[in-house]
Amino acid sequence: MTFEHCVRCTICVENCPVYKVEPLFPGPKQSGPDAQRFRLDGEKSVDQWVKYCCQCRRCEVACPYGVQVAEIILKAQLKYGEEHLSPFSSHLFANAYHLEAIGSTLAPLFNRVAALSLTKKAMSLFGISGELDLPAFRFLNLERGRRRKGRGRKVVFFYGCHLNFNRPDIGTGIRDLLVSMGCRVVMPPQTCCGLPALGNGDLDMARKYANKNASVLTSYIDRGFDVVYACTSCGLSLVQDYPGILDVEGGRKIAENTYNVHEYILSLIQQGSVKIPLGILERKIAYHIPCHLRALGIGYPATKLFKLIDGLQVSVLEDHCCGMAGTYGFKKRNQNTAARLGEIASGAIRGLGVDAVVADCGACRMQLEHFTGLPALDPSEIIREALQNSPEHRGKTEKGIVRWWRGIKDARHAARTLPAWPRR
Amino acid sequence: MSAVTHDVVVIGGGMSGLMASAYLAGKGFKTALISQGDPVCCLSTGCVDVLSPGTHPLEGFDGLPPGHPYRLVGRKGIEDGCRLFKEIMATTTIPYAGTVRKNREILTPIGTFKTTCLVPLTMTGAEGCRDGYTHVISFNGLRDFYPSYITSRLKNTGFSLYDAGITSTLGIATRFEDKAFLEAFIAWIEGLEIPPGKVALPAVLGIQSPVQIMEEISRRIGSEVFEIPTLPPSIPGLRLFRALKGALTARGGDLYWGKAVGSVECRGSMVEAVTLATQGRPSRVQGRAFILATGSFVSGGLFARIDTVNETVFDLPVYVPGPRKDWFWNDFFTAGHPIEKAGIEVDGSLRPTRSDLKNLFVCGSILAHGEIMKNHCGHGLAIATGLKAARICEGFLS
Ligand SMILES: Cc1cc2nc3c(=O)[nH]c(=O)nc-3n(C[C@H](O)[C@H](O)[C@H](O)COP(=O)(O)OP(=O)(O)OC[C@H]3O[C@@H](n4cnc5c(N)ncnc54)[C@H](O)[C@@H]3O)c2cc1C
Ligand code: SF4
Ligand code: SF4
Repeated sequence: MTFEHCVRCTICVENCPVYKVEPLFPGPKQSGPDAQRFRLDGEKSVDQWVKYCCQCRRCEVACPYGVQVAEIILKAQLKYGEEHLSPFSSHLFANAYHLEAIGSTLAPLFNRVAALSLTKKAMSLFGISGELDLPAFRFLNLERGRRRKGRGRKVVFFYGCHLNFNRPDIGTGIRDLLVSMGCRVVMPPQTCCGLPALGNGDLDMARKYANKNASVLTSYIDRGFDVVYACTSCGLSLVQDYPGILDVEGGRKIAENTYNVHEYILSLIQQGSVKIPLGILERKIAYHIPCHLRALGIGYPATKLFKLIDGLQVSVLEDHCCGMAGTYGFKKRNQNTAARLGEIASGAIRGLGVDAVVADCGACRMQLEHFTGLPALDPSEIIREALQNSPEHRGKTEKGIVRWWRGIKDARHAARTLPAWPRR
Repeated sequence: MSAVTHDVVVIGGGMSGLMASAYLAGKGFKTALISQGDPVCCLSTGCVDVLSPGTHPLEGFDGLPPGHPYRLVGRKGIEDGCRLFKEIMATTTIPYAGTVRKNREILTPIGTFKTTCLVPLTMTGAEGCRDGYTHVISFNGLRDFYPSYITSRLKNTGFSLYDAGITSTLGIATRFEDKAFLEAFIAWIEGLEIPPGKVALPAVLGIQSPVQIMEEISRRIGSEVFEIPTLPPSIPGLRLFRALKGALTARGGDLYWGKAVGSVECRGSMVEAVTLATQGRPSRVQGRAFILATGSFVSGGLFARIDTVNETVFDLPVYVPGPRKDWFWNDFFTAGHPIEKAGIEVDGSLRPTRSDLKNLFVCGSILAHGEIMKNHCGHGLAIATGLKAARICEGFLS
């Protein structure tokens, strides 16, 4: 729906996290449909405030009339970016993939240097917030890790930059989880989904990334593979932006064959013979729903898996944006907004007496771990923990690398004990 | 295709759909709630109008036309709905006061009093404020709320302005959740030397914990504090919506938000699944029973074309009061507008008449003959019919 369908009800405004805390941002209604009436193709943009929007897309999810509020604003951001010199930090973050690849290659060195106060001061000169720690990089990333092939349903795992460079352990965990359910999982060469480039006003760069991924993904889809993502922002990009604003070749095909990992696991369970032997897990967790999972409109599939775990108490929190919004919170301009929103989202968690925060998005996890002081986990980690507590695995409490190996062995074992998924 | 079977799938996340799904989820049914967007409730005052605006909410019950949805739920159904609503809200951070036996008064932003039935605790202080002094506090630059409207209409009042550093109701409400901001605000009031009486503010005392914030201010300054609802974006409406939605997830209900139902699958006279209009592969939600609570024209449950009025999900037959020339008035928001009668006609078990679907129940403002503005029965009708639909569903499923 276009700006003309807006009835000016202000429901989107009630849902905008940035508008809540940033007096300079006039909110989604005014920066979206209202201002769109005055934006002319040939004229230079005057609405510099559009850059305050963090593209959480909450406005769009809330609008009862389906007005694509966030997309209207995104286009205005891109137009603004094209006409004005963007700050150095935007170029840097648009290129997040290459930045992270360097960080990962030089992991031990990079992590140390990034933590130095001198480095933080230098970053500040380039418009990067020194308030938050940059994520730590891992050398053994998913690109360098081994591929694992099961025998059943064919899956391309789109792991995304965060798992690849910062948390490959979660990535291998998810791969093993799918393998244990009889899937054949491949992780072909892939690059950044393109969302950070889009968020930093660089449409060309975003398209470049997207096209690279699209040619790989469509070639697998044509051979009967399903695409599975874990990071909900990558997922949103694949499903919404590839056929939408990025308009990449094969975008529609990708959107139609791409699944959230928990949605996929549920469909495997639902459709037939696969059972996952989930044990008891006595934990109390807060499940923070990332904005981009909401925007996908597929419901919250991980909550359905959580319900299968005895002993697990889950509070679902879906009304707060954590404030990080990918690379948004790392920019100096946004650091106060990000911090205020992080505080608000964490405040809602603190009162619950939970032992961990769970979120599908790496950026949410970093932010919420920082503000709540609680461990932040991916939903798949909870599911794997419950799997390890199943009768076959109870009582094993290895640490570190032993546990990691054990995890893989367990998954292998589980794969053997499970009825195989019928081949297509 | 993601296929998940629920016991009941509720379509429409307004007051009616939320009440129905919270009730069923509370009874242990696997419940899903699908909503295209946020409901009209977010624009409302947060107060529940039940029926007549006089002293007794139900005094106009006998005068209702035979086809009115309240006739299907009866006085007892209305009473049960309001009781359940209050019970649910008591488990959240925004409890409600009031009963269906007596209406209450709230103060409006233009200095008049409005009667309504169930009222959030933050607004109950308006009662009796005619008898003493009331000091209104507003905020620098706040649009849509002018204390002088109140002081010029209401005797024995005065006002002061506070600089909150942000000028929107949402921004100010967010700041009130911040301890340091609240402390500074209280210190400022203490320095004002207001005459003894009550203190009234626009409804901005926080989003999550308004009662706590109100009580803290009240305790510290030693005067009763209450809120006045404002124009949309309405914080009390937002609070009500979020609290009910939270009550649903706390009871284990599943949410599908932000996408409309695009298509439906029926086998014979049973609805089997609905499909969400997502960007990628359509998401399919399966259920044993379905509740339709998509609201009226404002929310998109009904859609008027030049020659017809359509129901947007199941394409059910819609009752329309005569040909277009009879109901096409310019001002939609007028009480007694003929199109207010339009909607889905149902039988005693809220199944749509003129349709053979057996596992579909309809509730809320999409029902025909409600005439919500004329009868002052907005949220009340949504709540009472929502509970009725849920109970019928409960019987149907067990
Ligand atoms: C501006 C305004 C102020 C009001 N103030 C008050 C008040 O102060 N007190 C009071 O008692 N009453 C008030 N009312 C009336 C009252 O708000 C409504 O009558 C009542 O809340 C209606 O609730 P509902 O559940 O029937 O529908 P709605 O609240 O209209 O909800 C319907 C939901 O269904 C969703 N939907 C629609 N189509 C689809 C689809 N195809 N697929 C999925 N989802 C769909 C919509 O997005 C919406 O969330 C007010 C009404 C208005 C317009
Ligand atoms: S919610 Fe939709 S219709 Fe309402 S003001 Fe926002 S864009 Fe317009
Ligand atoms: S996308 Fe998020 S930040 Fe941007 S206008 Fe919408 S709600 Fe606000």
